Amino acid sequence: MLANPALRPLQTAAILILVLLGVALMAALAPPAMQRTVVEAMIKLTVVVGLFVFVGNSGVFSFGHVAFMAVGGYMSAVLTLAPARKETLLDLPGFLEALQLPWPVAMIVVVPAVGLIALAVGWPICRLRGIALPMATFAILIITFVVASNWKEVTGGRQALVGLPRYTGLWVAFGGAALAILAAAIYGVTRHSLLLRCSRENEVAAAATGIDVERERLIAFVISAMIVAAGGVLFSHFIGTITANTFYLDLTFVTLTMLVAGGMRSLTGAFVGVALVSIVSELFRTVERGFSVGNVTIAAPPGLQEIALAAILLAILILRPSGLLGDHEVAFTSSSSGSSPAKPEG
Amino acid sequence: MGCLGLSLVISGPMRVPLYRTCHTEHIRNPVNLLQTSSLDVRAVTVDFQGLRAIDDVSLRLHGGEILGLIGPNGAGKTTLINVLTGFQEPTRGSVHLGGEDIGAWKPHQRSRRGLVRTFQSVLPFAGLSALENVEASGLSIGLSRAEARADAERILMEMGLGDKLHRAAGTLPFGEERRVGIARAIAMRPRFLLMDEPAAGLNDAECRDLKQIVEGISQSLGCGVLFIEHRMSLVFELCRRIQVLQLGRTLAVGTPDEIRADPKVRTAYLGQEAA
Repeated sequence: MLANPALRPLQTAAILILVLLGVALMAALAPPAMQRTVVEAMIKLTVVVGLFVFVGNSGVFSFGHVAFMAVGGYMSAVLTLAPARKETLLDLPGFLEALQLPWPVAMIVVVPAVGLIALAVGWPICRLRGIALPMATFAILIITFVVASNWKEVTGGRQALVGLPRYTGLWVAFGGAALAILAAAIYGVTRHSLLLRCSRENEVAAAATGIDVERERLIAFVISAMIVAAGGVLFSHFIGTITANTFYLDLTFVTLTMLVAGGMRSLTGAFVGVALVSIVSELFRTVERGFSVGNVTIAAPPGLQEIALAAILLAILILRPSGLLGDHEVAFTSSSSGSSPAKPEG
Repeated sequence: MGCLGLSLVISGPMRVPLYRTCHTEHIRNPVNLLQTSSLDVRAVTVDFQGLRAIDDVSLRLHGGEILGLIGPNGAGKTTLINVLTGFQEPTRGSVHLGGEDIGAWKPHQRSRRGLVRTFQSVLPFAGLSALENVEASGLSIGLSRAEARADAERILMEMGLGDKLHRAAGTLPFGEERRVGIARAIAMRPRFLLMDEPAAGLNDAECRDLKQIVEGISQSLGCGVLFIEHRMSLVFELCRRIQVLQLGRTLAVGTPDEIRADPKVRTAYLGQEAA
């Protein structure tokens, strides 16, 4: 059955989840610091895979998906924080203040709720054309940041929301990333994925082929936002403290770098991009912290990590604009179509 | 070249009942099928910021007919196709499918209702396989994934591309890429097919195959074809009626013999070619 090229995304997902399981098993034996790095990378993988569902399939860049992380994170915080803490930090209506859900229930509530929000937000913006659509997603990020920074009653405003239950350990993060990969693969075998990829290749030809480009974009946008929101929930309950700044430009930059570095048209590319950027970040973070060689301690100035990431992003954009993997996917059987740059028209 | 299979299939009754599994409204509903038996352009004018690209052009295309639309570059032929398919809003005038004004329909709605076009530069989904290019057409008209894939395979094999199913469309030679474009249109089950210079860039052998394909589409699918082309020999062989545009206006309408003999057309466009 999996020899059917249309089902290849499921093969890819199976392989990636197996590799991820291997990483998780190794991390389980590693020191706690290393384990935290792996957990963080797995959460970012969830987010990047979510981003891939929209960006990879539609070819439209989104600078706003981290906003859905924020919404997911804050919603989950409100639903899982202890009532006493909510009374101190927030000013919620009585029933919300008294409510404290177990984290799996909160996750089940938050993800569809963010899906509805994404539907409402995506409905107008998926009708936009050209550069207007990515710019609109950036506007969503800014609006979310401003609201989160000022809505003291619900988000705590500029004050950090502390004391979130920290349940995102290695295996919860693994589960989240594996489910995200599976969801992206299942979307990948649907008609909607193929129709959206047609619009990515040529929007005019797609419309002439009867494809409702706006509708297909909206479907992917909502699914993508839901996966990203799940990543936001996991992230919030990993660090245990969130502010509006947690989900803003830094995280947007890192997740987009991960997607572009690996190859934004490929699920495997998203996986490789997260691995590459996480390893490089960790390496430079170590250098920033300083290390000793004999009697000499070497420490790089702060910010080196961001500069290194930006340099990697630039190098990839210049040398390999389609990312390290282009649109190649790992699979049990070889594909004869492969990646192919469009030839000049004529 | 692989058109043999297609010509065998489409020159007689269709071996495979292409309409059997189709979910498009104009095919499910025979009343609609009859109603969509003509495509009318009524007094269409298109202005581009002071430049009049089309000036009061009317046109009627019947199901099963191949109508040639010719004229020099800049005559407004492609603009007219853009108006018909909803990519260009007319400044004045209207387009009617089976008597219904389709001015409010979006391009994808028009193609789903059987008003399908091909492009002068093909516009393949370059990074997708030839099979996926054609499969997308079946999906967009409501076929299941399996049905759309099976139909796409069949059409591509009949077009002589059976060994290129999984090749990225953007890597195919131009002639084959053009056949993928036509296969994509056929898979839409067109009631009316608007072909914009389909012979551009093709050699003589490929043009002969193209002629067979177009005749086959018209006869087997009962599809009206609007055939824009500069290769006059092909137009005169294929079309029973030809409309000539010049500077956005209709210069003449008639049979190939009438058009050949028309002194205005000879002066404006055909020159010595018609002699």
